[in-house]
Amino acid sequence: MNIAYQGEHLLPGQLGQFFIVLAFGSALFSTISYYFAATTTNKLDTSWLWMGRIGYFLNSISVVGIGSCLFYIIYNNLFEYHYAWEHSSRTLPVYYIISSFWEGQEGSFWLWGFWQAVLGNILIWKAKSWEKPVLTVIALAQTLLASMLLGVDILGARIGSSPFILLRQALEAPIFSRPEYLSFIKDGNGLNPLLQNYWMVIHPPTLFLGFASMIVPFAYAIAGLWMKRYKEWVQPALSYSLFAVMVLGTGVVMGSLWAYESLNFGGFWAWDPVENAALIPWLTLIGAVHVLIVYKNTGHAYFTATFLTLISFILVLYASFLTRSGILGDTSVHAFTDLGMFWHLVVDVAVFFAIALTLVILRWKELPISKKEEETYSREFWMFVGAVFLALSCLQLIVVTSIPVWNAMFKTHIAPPTNPVTLYNVFQAGFAVVVTLLAGITQFLKYKKTDATRFFITTGIYLVFSALITGLVVYITGIYHLRFVFVLVMFGATYTLLANTKVLTDAFKGKIKLAGSAVAHIGFGLMMVGALIAAGTSKVISQNDTGLDYGADFAKGNNPRENIMLYKNEPVKMGDYTVTYFGDSIKAPNHYFKVDYKRYGANGKITEEFVLKPNSQANRKMGLVSSPDTKHYLFHDLYTHVSMAPIKYDDETQADAGHGEENDDANYNPPVPHEVKVGDTIPFRDGVIVLEKLNKEAHVQNIPLAANDVAVGANLKVISHGLTYDAEPVFMVKNGSVFDFARKVDDAGLKLRLSKIIPEKDKVEITVYDQPESKKAYIVMRAIEFPYINFLWTGTVIMIIGFLLSIFRRNKELKSV
Amino acid sequence: MKKSSIFGIVVIAIAIAVIISTYGSSSTYGSFTEAKQSQSDLHVIGYLDKNKELYYDAHKDANYFSFYMKDKKGNESKVVFTGTKPQDFERSEQIVLVGHMTGNEFHASHIQMKCPSKYTQDKVETTEADAKQGSI
Repeated sequence: MNIAYQGEHLLPGQLGQFFIVLAFGSALFSTISYYFAATTTNKLDTSWLWMGRIGYFLNSISVVGIGSCLFYIIYNNLFEYHYAWEHSSRTLPVYYIISSFWEGQEGSFWLWGFWQAVLGNILIWKAKSWEKPVLTVIALAQTLLASMLLGVDILGARIGSSPFILLRQALEAPIFSRPEYLSFIKDGNGLNPLLQNYWMVIHPPTLFLGFASMIVPFAYAIAGLWMKRYKEWVQPALSYSLFAVMVLGTGVVMGSLWAYESLNFGGFWAWDPVENAALIPWLTLIGAVHVLIVYKNTGHAYFTATFLTLISFILVLYASFLTRSGILGDTSVHAFTDLGMFWHLVVDVAVFFAIALTLVILRWKELPISKKEEETYSREFWMFVGAVFLALSCLQLIVVTSIPVWNAMFKTHIAPPTNPVTLYNVFQAGFAVVVTLLAGITQFLKYKKTDATRFFITTGIYLVFSALITGLVVYITGIYHLRFVFVLVMFGATYTLLANTKVLTDAFKGKIKLAGSAVAHIGFGLMMVGALIAAGTSKVISQNDTGLDYGADFAKGNNPRENIMLYKNEPVKMGDYTVTYFGDSIKAPNHYFKVDYKRYGANGKITEEFVLKPNSQANRKMGLVSSPDTKHYLFHDLYTHVSMAPIKYDDETQADAGHGEENDDANYNPPVPHEVKVGDTIPFRDGVIVLEKLNKEAHVQNIPLAANDVAVGANLKVISHGLTYDAEPVFMVKNGSVFDFARKVDDAGLKLRLSKIIPEKDKVEITVYDQPESKKAYIVMRAIEFPYINFLWTGTVIMIIGFLLSIFRRNKELKSV
Repeated sequence: MKKSSIFGIVVIAIAIAVIISTYGSSSTYGSFTEAKQSQSDLHVIGYLDKNKELYYDAHKDANYFSFYMKDKKGNESKVVFTGTKPQDFERSEQIVLVGHMTGNEFHASHIQMKCPSKYTQDKVETTEADAKQGSI
């Protein structure tokens, strides 16, 4: 059946699909050409090399072409394309179009491919004698990435998933049998509100640059084995490893900062499989960096260096398999859903694993593995031990995160741990103790051989100092309430800080070369301190002891009640603060709740006051999505988010405005009339109402008064929970008929009428409607205090600076060789 | 004995400890009946009974949410969660609970639910809720 569909723009999609096929073809061509260029014995024949280069350039151009077509489609709201419809909408601001670009799997594959293309071009320019073998590996990776986007059927199986698939091809619905179906598709699904955040604009590019750059050290390691240049590959690989580690580390911490600032799980790290997936290769490559340095300086640890470099990239691929194949299904909320690429992703991992394994086996006998043992009192031995412990911590992450994979492989049915966070924390803390202590101790050791007595004296002095400082910190922050292993982490981190500060001061005295590693280690130590205190001693300050008694059994469960109920304008005591939800501001699509925090000093005076505005979006498609707001102090943060609020969906607010008045009384308790004189006070549940005076010249908007008409307003002052509001209900006689105009004070939950005038008693009747609690505006809120979290963020920045310094140093060495 | 051999043994020992601890700390998927017999927390997969009351009243207690769930074997139990009602709970298609039985109520410390996406037939959304903030 052929239907002539109306209004579709097929050209950008066809062009994009053409670029995908071209990207795949040219990358494959480049791989093959570079392979022959690398293996040809005729040194003068550069034709293979040039063909490889042309293939790679063509691939780079195609990748840019794919991106441009996809961007054009999203930017112009061409909802006939599934990708645009699924991830974007007309109301989306331009800068978030960039986020929607990589919200889907296809877009993130593209991002990866883009960075790999950039890195490949840099290597063509810089790698010199390494170009041929290194680019063979990178072009192969580029081929496999392009194949993920192909979306063509080969032998009945769909290979890859194209971002240019049409909506009517992706979904089946009766609507697609109508030629003019497009006129019914007014708007796209839109971007998940949680992702409408500037972090989502910069976090994925950083993360994927990190992932993409992991291939460079891998490619050098492969090239070294392949070309039998066993020792030479280490130096360039070291620089690129430092770069990869720096960028990926930045990306991971950015993700954690994003989660902390705008997601509502109440923390900065949750050991979610998706987070772990990014951390796993980072840990092994950090280990690799250290043993590469060991090998460069002493000739030891060659195999460990090769192994960790190779495995890091394979783990990047494994991580992408974990998060993209849908295998995590039940265990992660953040993983992508399966696009039918399960086996494709498995093949990707298997190909590179097989290449690495085969080469290592083939070259095993020739590898320059030193037969001699390292000295016990040598830096290289303990750096090696540290690297192995990093790998072990990575192993623990892999084993636990991969439980669904083991289930699939061994046909078992094991559930993940009921409390994975504690399990990860305890294990990772154990490894962190060893790693941080070694990051300190190795600073006092020299390569080759160290004088043992001197070493023990200096190490001992610093250990004692660290123990003293740790004791103090542990006492002040309350870490001693936690498991003992966390106290040890604090000790290790302090030791790292002290030892490396010493190295840094030496560096300023002239050994400037050493600055990079010292700064990076100081940053790492600070991160550990910050993360440990913030996560370990964070306190839920919205602890709620009210609520109905649901039976003793329920209370015995000792579940903390972390959410607090705030009725509008009713202050509640919460920890040291008195909090009041006092207003709303709506900036579509966000609904901001204004929450006032006050702190009182001993004398009852306000010592501090600020307003936080956590927000929620009641989105038809995604439900209620909340974002926190955080008050940042130098030494702690106060984090607030709304877990529940009776707000209306974005499309309901307007429909509601036209509701009739007659229903309105149902929102209030039965009215209570009060006969009062001027100056009298009427009590009500939440305060008092004072009749200040009667206004004989009241006006009601749009109602002109004739000579015989009367309009009287009652000037009322409402005092409720320390706040004062004014209201003026009006009583009117017009053309002989009696009307009255009620006034609402929503913030106090009141409706007031001047219902009668009683001249003989010199009184008036004020009818008070107050809202039952259940109709009053409220929010359910959670507030958490995170102490010293700024150490985590500053530590990260310092660590990045340290990596940068190290990269400069290694690059200088590279040129001098 | 060589130093590297000793270190090798230590590494292998730690690796084995990691694997055993993972297996030891892993939980099981079970039914409500099994939860009654079990002392420890376990995972129960099931479906929300949409005919029975879904109770959450922030005015009475902002941290109490209860509902009825049928496990995969068809047994039904009341489930209590200390926290707010997860958004769109009514729409959930499948629920994974982590918790234990107390009397005749299942006390969940973690709820993960899958909702059919309203707009795409081929996609499923997942959300989860925790009673307690993660602690170390």
